[in-house]
Amino acid sequence: MIPQNFEYSSPNNLNEALALLADGNAKVLAGGMSLIPLMKLRLAAPEHLVDLGRVADLKSIREEGGSIRIGATATHYDIESSPLVRGKCPLLAEAASNIGDVQVRNMGTIGGSIAHADPAADYPASLLALEAQVRIASAKGERTVTIEQFLVDALTTALEPGEIVREIIVPVEPANAGVSYQKMVQPASGFAIVGAAVRVRKSGGKVAFARVGVTGLAAKAFRAARVEKLLEGTSGSAADVQKAAAVVSDGADANSDLHASASYRQQMAKVYTARALTQALSRAS
Amino acid sequence: MRISGSYALPVTPERAYDLLQDPVVLAQCMPGTERLVRIGSDEYEMKMKMVISAVQGLFAGKVRIADQKPPEQFRLIVEGSGKVGFMRGDGLLTLSSASATTEVHYEGEVHVGGVIAGVGQRLLDTTAKIVIRRFFEKLAASVSQTAQAAAAPLSPPPPTNSAPDSD
Repeated sequence: MIPQNFEYSSPNNLNEALALLADGNAKVLAGGMSLIPLMKLRLAAPEHLVDLGRVADLKSIREEGGSIRIGATATHYDIESSPLVRGKCPLLAEAASNIGDVQVRNMGTIGGSIAHADPAADYPASLLALEAQVRIASAKGERTVTIEQFLVDALTTALEPGEIVREIIVPVEPANAGVSYQKMVQPASGFAIVGAAVRVRKSGGKVAFARVGVTGLAAKAFRAARVEKLLEGTSGSAADVQKAAAVVSDGADANSDLHASASYRQQMAKVYTARALTQALSRAS
Repeated sequence: MRISGSYALPVTPERAYDLLQDPVVLAQCMPGTERLVRIGSDEYEMKMKMVISAVQGLFAGKVRIADQKPPEQFRLIVEGSGKVGFMRGDGLLTLSSASATTEVHYEGEVHVGGVIAGVGQRLLDTTAKIVIRRFFEKLAASVSQTAQAAAAPLSPPPPTNSAPDSD
């Protein structure tokens, strides 16, 4: 179908973009992988689109002070193929390489994905495990929030009208860490039915550090703190992994849809968390 | 799609029962309600504008209350349709007293059709839960505000909310 008429602006730099968005009435267009289909179906009918595609300084990926800073309009392909991200934040590269299909990865952006906040998107699990920060910009200034503060609810973020995601800040992974992202994919959409992202570090034969993020299971992605606690301090044996992964769905108000019932999702969350833990532990040294 | 859940309201069951059937309160607390007008005994006409992320839908429809057993339970039947699709919900609300609060339990069936159901199937369950949660959160907030105002008669009265259209 053809979208309703809308005004289109394509600013050349960030200040111009923020000025266009300042009145809070315009909608931001990044990769358009979610917004354009919604507009074509006329489920969304924004009157004014501000396309961030030509804002060059939003696309950069760079290292600064122990962190990797990823510009909001870096595409999933930019992230999965970046030597910097692959080398120093491999979990995010792995998550990016699992998104949708090649066409989506060529167009879709990390900022667009997290601003849309689909409850089954791939990034949030990894960003939670990475304890990432989100730098937000508007014509009035900037602020930085944690990814947990940013993800408010399904399809709802901490972004106020007039604000955009400027960059995502993730820590540089120590070389001895092990990471893994495992997802049960819905074949038609490429979205995760459930997905688990894991980072672990070992020290003296014990699991010294564990971070687990889970997507697809509930209305928003979450950190599985109880799984982390149960695993930390153990030797990371197969039995330890099973015991820790078994509590991932406890207390979660699980999603249910045509593809997977709530109880099936809860069960699969355990299976995929265990797989991600196992693989991450095998990669850690 | 089946939905169910429970929420606690900081009032007696009798008060909760009245609040949940008060069109002024419902119009204030139901997300996106633009208009709620009584058209018969226990029947109301409504207009809602649902905005979730980039998606927005205008719905027009009816709300009906049935099977009333004050202050324990009643049935809420909601029907609406708009350009993006239609919905029909039928739910039983059961109220039980738990110390100083009232436990409101709802259980029902929601049917959604049209474009929004065709493309949004994956998100319907989550969206329904969000809308219901926002309703109860807003209701609980407005109830505790009223309770505070009643408990502190010396403080200036809260600004009166302008009531929506009613006849």
